Amino acid sequence: MSKIRFLRSANFKLTALYVLLFGASSLVVFGVIYWIIAGTLQQQMALIVKAEISELEQDYRVGRTAGLAQEIETRIGSGRYPFNYYLLQDKSGKKLVGNLPSMAAFEGWQDIPAPYPSVADNATDLTETSEHRAYAHGNHLDDGAFILVGTSTYQADESKEAIMRAFFWAIGVVLVLAFGGGTILSLSFLRRIDEINRTAKAIVDGQLNERVRTSGTKDELDLLAVNLNDMLDRIQALMESLQQVSNDIAHDLRRPLGRLRRHLEGVRRDAGSVEDYQTAIEKGIVETDDILATFSSLLRIAQIEAHVRRHAFRRVDLSAVFETVIDAYGPVIEDAGKLIEIDITPEIVIDGDRELLAQLLANLIENTVTHTPSGTSICLSLQQTQDGPVATLCDDGPGIPESERGKIFERFYRLDASRTTPGNGLGLALVAAVAGLHGASVAVTDNHPGAIFMVRYKSA
Amino acid sequence: MKILLIEDDIDTAEHIVKSLQQHRHVVDHAESGHDGLFLAAGQTYDVLIVDRMLPGLDGIGLVKTIRSAGVHTPVLFLTALDGVDNRVEGFDAGGDDYLAKPFAFEELHARLKALARRPAPMQAETALYVGDLEFDLLKRIVKREGRTIDLLPQEFKLLEYLMRHVDEIVTRTMILENVWDFHFDPKTTVVETHISRLRKKVDFPFANPLIHTVHGSGYSIHV
Repeated sequence: MSKIRFLRSANFKLTALYVLLFGASSLVVFGVIYWIIAGTLQQQMALIVKAEISELEQDYRVGRTAGLAQEIETRIGSGRYPFNYYLLQDKSGKKLVGNLPSMAAFEGWQDIPAPYPSVADNATDLTETSEHRAYAHGNHLDDGAFILVGTSTYQADESKEAIMRAFFWAIGVVLVLAFGGGTILSLSFLRRIDEINRTAKAIVDGQLNERVRTSGTKDELDLLAVNLNDMLDRIQALMESLQQVSNDIAHDLRRPLGRLRRHLEGVRRDAGSVEDYQTAIEKGIVETDDILATFSSLLRIAQIEAHVRRHAFRRVDLSAVFETVIDAYGPVIEDAGKLIEIDITPEIVIDGDRELLAQLLANLIENTVTHTPSGTSICLSLQQTQDGPVATLCDDGPGIPESERGKIFERFYRLDASRTTPGNGLGLALVAAVAGLHGASVAVTDNHPGAIFMVRYKSA
Repeated sequence: MKILLIEDDIDTAEHIVKSLQQHRHVVDHAESGHDGLFLAAGQTYDVLIVDRMLPGLDGIGLVKTIRSAGVHTPVLFLTALDGVDNRVEGFDAGGDDYLAKPFAFEELHARLKALARRPAPMQAETALYVGDLEFDLLKRIVKREGRTIDLLPQEFKLLEYLMRHVDEIVTRTMILENVWDFHFDPKTTVVETHISRLRKKVDFPFANPLIHTVHGSGYSIHV
């Protein structure tokens, strides 16, 4: 796998985006924390300074400037307040006492440069050039003297710096983990995509039985592989059925075409009169019509099997369809010397295509009429059951051998016993196709003697 | 009849034109949708034969256009598209009949005649007459020579269809479509059986048969 492909992979892009977003949001979070902590540290320094000032103000009230100067001297000398700064100047700005150099006498809070506190480890932590600062408050006293009390920012700076250091470490670790994890994920993802690609390529190259390996993890990629395999199975089945149809057409249409050709040759050889030719032409037209009818049936079955007609489904009164078909075929059955007993439950309604549902029943009836001898009893019923409407067509004719029962619904399949009866072997194939389109099932069983065709429709 | 044929396949068109001319019809032929539209809008015809797949403007579009322009000439769609959906599309566009290719010329001819003589709608007839045969449509009573003939519901429908097309040929397919609404080709003798039963009741007891078989085409009722 090339580096470029890795960089282009969707997973890598996602990982990079994730890292970027995570980094940005971490920065924001850190900024807020830093800002709050810095504020709090500032407040603490202010509190320290204010407490000092209020204590020193006490001393001033008692001992005036001189007392105050002495107190400050004591505090500096004691070493108990290593981080505090003091400066007392007289009216003219001369420094009286303090550990800060004299300065302009500004009242209020100020940020001033200050020498390093004696306890600070400035040799290691801070370079000579880096400036140390103090947070201080200046006040004028009654006699015009100026006092400034401050506290070192050293501790606050140290805290801030620690936070910064922690943050950089954390960000570093996060980035390393995110990139590392993303890379591993991306690689394993790509490996499986590659597997799918290889299979697809193999199928394109003609190895139609190739399937994508599934890992059984039930994750999205595994589901994708399973679905792809299902799709490939379906495509293969369709292709095989297409192949089957093509073969059927080639075989079963060559026969009547060959017959037509033989007849035409016979006419050319034997015909002597205009009448002979006219008879031959009539016969030729009839034979051609038969071939065309077979083509139409095949097309119709293909069209139905493609399920494109489902969008034309509407409510159909199945009972009424049965009544119409029986009205049309009743006399045909009687004239064929057969008895029919009819039991139709009225007002059974399903969703479907009226025309095809009529043809389904017509084909079933024609099948029974054509393949049973004179004197056969036929029964036809339509009943509403718990699982939906069920149509039953039974006869006491010769029946269908058990081994043949699955095959009679295939295109062009004809029982040996019926090779001589008229028909193109497509009637029951169309029945199966129409049933399939309607989500109905059609099956044939034994009637001891005879056959029972049963169609189970789907409820509306 | 004056017929306009809009069909781009030269072979089919030539066959139809020659056959119709043999039956003494006047036929105009257009090879494209636009030429057909021009002719259909400009002249008066008894019936139009329209192929569905045409170069330029297709058959459906053509019929929609002439219908919206107020031309009510009957239209027969002649097409290789013979799915049910296609037929419904054809009727929705304003077509009056639909015949799938390949077809028998007799079938086309019979349907054209039925279309051209289609009675004006809303002119409700209450009775049909063919010679001494009388069909009271309101009471559903059929009489011949004054004698009532008992018919089954299907036989009433079949006879009514035949009598509405008196002196015309109706084909097997036309009967299947119009009497039972069957749009498939039965492999058994459904039509023949019903016609023969109808004949037994309507013709056999009487001297002159009215229902005639037209060889190779279908049936016709006439004196």
